[in-house]
Amino acid sequence: MRRKPLCFPPSARSLSQRIRGDAMTVAEKAQALLRRRLCSPTFAHAAFKSSPESNYSKLRFLISSSIAEACNNSVLLLGPRGSGKIAVVELVLEDLKAEHPDAISVIRLNGLLHSDDNCALKEIARQLCVEHQLLFSKMASSDDNSQFVMDMLRECGLAHKTIIVILDEFDLFTQGKQRLLYSLLDAMQTLISQAVVIGVSCRLDADQLLEKRIRSRFSHRKLLFVPPSKEDVQRLLECLLHLPKDSSFPSKYVTEFNRRLSNILSDKKFKEVLDSLLDVDGSVSNLLRLLFRAVSYMDMESGLLSLENFKSAYLCTYRQPKIDNLEDASILELYILVCMNRLETKEQNSYNFNSIMKEYKAIHDAYKTSDNYANNVCLRAFEHLLEQELIGFTDSKGRTPSIEFHPVKLLISSRELYQGLTSNSSCPAILQKLFDHESYK
Amino acid sequence: MGTEGATPERRTTRSSSSLSKPSLDAPKPPLSTRPSLPNDLLFSDEPLSIDTLLSNFPGRGAQVLEILRLIGPPNSPMLPLLLHGGVSTGKTSVILQILHHINRPFVYTSCCSCHSPRILFESVLNQLFLHRKNPSNGYLSARRCERASDFINLLRDALSQVTGSPRGKKSKLDGNGEMIYLIFDNVELIRSWNKSSDILALLFRLFDILNIPEVGLIYISNAAPDAYYSMAGSVEPVGVYFPDYTVDDLFNIFMLRSPANRKLYSSFLSVVLKPFFRVTRRIDELATAFDPLFQKYCEPLADLNLVPDESMKRRLFVRLQPHLSASLNETFRVPSECSFEANKEGTCSKKGNIRKLSGRETSNELDFHMSVSAKYLLISAFLASRNPATLDAALFDSTGGSNNRKQKKKSSQAIMDQKDEMAEEMLLKGPGSFPLERLLAIFQCITSVGEGTLEEEQLEDGMVIESGNVGLMSDVLLQLSTLCNANFICKSGSCPLEGSTRYRSTVDEDMALKVARSINFPLSKYMYRR
Repeated sequence: MRRKPLCFPPSARSLSQRIRGDAMTVAEKAQALLRRRLCSPTFAHAAFKSSPESNYSKLRFLISSSIAEACNNSVLLLGPRGSGKIAVVELVLEDLKAEHPDAISVIRLNGLLHSDDNCALKEIARQLCVEHQLLFSKMASSDDNSQFVMDMLRECGLAHKTIIVILDEFDLFTQGKQRLLYSLLDAMQTLISQAVVIGVSCRLDADQLLEKRIRSRFSHRKLLFVPPSKEDVQRLLECLLHLPKDSSFPSKYVTEFNRRLSNILSDKKFKEVLDSLLDVDGSVSNLLRLLFRAVSYMDMESGLLSLENFKSAYLCTYRQPKIDNLEDASILELYILVCMNRLETKEQNSYNFNSIMKEYKAIHDAYKTSDNYANNVCLRAFEHLLEQELIGFTDSKGRTPSIEFHPVKLLISSRELYQGLTSNSSCPAILQKLFDHESYK
Repeated sequence: MGTEGATPERRTTRSSSSLSKPSLDAPKPPLSTRPSLPNDLLFSDEPLSIDTLLSNFPGRGAQVLEILRLIGPPNSPMLPLLLHGGVSTGKTSVILQILHHINRPFVYTSCCSCHSPRILFESVLNQLFLHRKNPSNGYLSARRCERASDFINLLRDALSQVTGSPRGKKSKLDGNGEMIYLIFDNVELIRSWNKSSDILALLFRLFDILNIPEVGLIYISNAAPDAYYSMAGSVEPVGVYFPDYTVDDLFNIFMLRSPANRKLYSSFLSVVLKPFFRVTRRIDELATAFDPLFQKYCEPLADLNLVPDESMKRRLFVRLQPHLSASLNETFRVPSECSFEANKEGTCSKKGNIRKLSGRETSNELDFHMSVSAKYLLISAFLASRNPATLDAALFDSTGGSNNRKQKKKSSQAIMDQKDEMAEEMLLKGPGSFPLERLLAIFQCITSVGEGTLEEEQLEDGMVIESGNVGLMSDVLLQLSTLCNANFICKSGSCPLEGSTRYRSTVDEDMALKVARSINFPLSKYMYRR
């Protein structure tokens, strides 16, 4: 799509004054409040707390029942990235901690960081020490750590304290021998312990990755996180963007803001923008990103959101990087790309820089253009194209030492190239003609 | 900005060093040995005003304002940002200047200088702990950190110290410490590291893992965001695109760094910018090309401060024209030492042909010195790579003279097609490889040809070459390894049957012709032509 100029406030000076915090007007406070809401995922998912069928309620019921009945439990939360799995877990834990202040102890592990077993044990031991105000020694061996963890599990079990272990990026824990998982789940079965293991993963088949002996110890409870439906999205938007009436903002401003907002939300064009956004990625975090951008573009003079904010936020979110690169390419680089395209249309299976130069010289002999440059200049332009990843080597580890003999290929399609040529403002007409020309000499 | 020696002086990127703005002099922060407030992570100068900021970056106004809006007012959290765009489009300098302008603390690391995860982690932690490597602590980092899990824990400690928020608990922002920004530059280089997918995943999910609202993350990358999509789903940061400059932007930028006489420079730019713009749009390359051209442009002017009028502009342009086309074709040439000295002495004595017809002044002599035997060896290598082995007998007869191949003028279509195909193959496959014996055989043949001329050169070079080939041979193997080190000849794979290593010549035809010309060797007679 064409690059449109961004709409920015008429006076940059006042913008910078506000951002430097020289004067916080009502508009700025409102914007700060909205940004704070949009940057914390738990706020967004708290909107769904009340409905009984939501994952929040199910998870809460599961954990509170296992606390009440003093039993062990395990559950997997699965869903695409950004659907709020960890957010829901945090919400549930927050509420349960408020309800049962001393009965819960939480350990958080992440598959990106702690997939190595020794590392994970050390981290569990460290977190347990922090929670129970014990001294953690960095020099402890992994045997010591695992012994400590088992002891703590037993002690907490005896004291009727539930340990909740959250395993983020659960699929990464299933690489290797899965010793950590086995020891945790085994401990839960053999010791007198009260533990809940919550696995969170974006792979929907995460439970298939478990070994047989672990899967048998794992309860097959799964909670699926799906993208919200249209009504849920609408409810979410209202919840996120409406200013609260009982806050420190003047009530006239609040009513005006909310009224404007309701108009926007019911506008047909806004619904189009929203639909095209959610068609690509329907997760909540994608929506939050768009809203964050739109709120940042809020007009500070009036302090009100407008449809333009959402539209320009949407345009900035979805750029096409290859077309952008083509729009920025210099004329020599475009020549090289068109030569490569011609070679590919002539069905030359593999070609390298020298064959491209031959084609380039042939074009100049035929059409006598003014853009005839020497080999080293073209080679540099060729290297620029390689950097921008518009072209690439066909095999990355060839034996050919120099760049001129390495076979290359185009990484953009003919159609993208054509689009780039038409949108490049300084593209000479001859290039387009060469591109469209069916018969080649 | 605080601590490390290199980074607060804002790593002079090429664009920022070419725009030598006076307000950007590297602020030397005071060395603090006691742990202090985040104020030490700021620029220690006066903050810039918005006008200075916008005028320092002509053509980047829209990006500056967008980033300002995304960063937002103080104490307002931020989703991670990704600044992406081409090379030397001003990404790093813009974000550093913006943070200077809004006067907020930040930590800057570049994945170009921190080329492994451990160095990256320790650099971030050193800056946060306001630790400087100096002799007193044995140039050690504040904390030793190799693994990602240690990094996260230490990072939490450091950030809690800096922002004053209680560790591990979700902090409410009202009335709490200010934001601190972590900038990761050159993120695209991580893709070539070991275990790059883990590190990239960690870096881009830092926001979720840390869960500290006071931290703002900013990534700067030369590659587009789709280079970071991973197999396991990725979290996309909010992107800001930096397009390349247009002609007018480039004009304004070069006027910023113009020497004293602005009118003269602007008339120079109006001549020079458009042709070069067709070749490249990158500021660093244009800057290196324009400087010598401007010297040439100002040569005839006695008084450099005068304002040129139309007729003078035209005359200067006409005078510059041949140099312009020459320079266009050498845009990326890195001038070597001897040409610098020649220019300094004011003598442009170029031996060899200067083809003034096409307006180009290319030098047909070598820029560097090689010994005679090395030159012969180079030519032999070039011939060995270029000609198929079966031709050797025909080209080099026993007397060493070139036996002009009996031209079989059978211009039948089949043979022409075959020759075309061989030409195509040459273009594709590149130089062929040859064993050492063949190289030495060719070398012996052609040095015996050049015996006569060699004796005259011998007196010039002061080398004592015994007549006959024996004297040259002892040098040859040494010269071979020198040429290999200089990458004129490279080793290619060895044939499993023969067992000896094979070599390949990497010089191109122009270079070989230059070398041959310098020793008066008739190279073209020996080259296989289709």
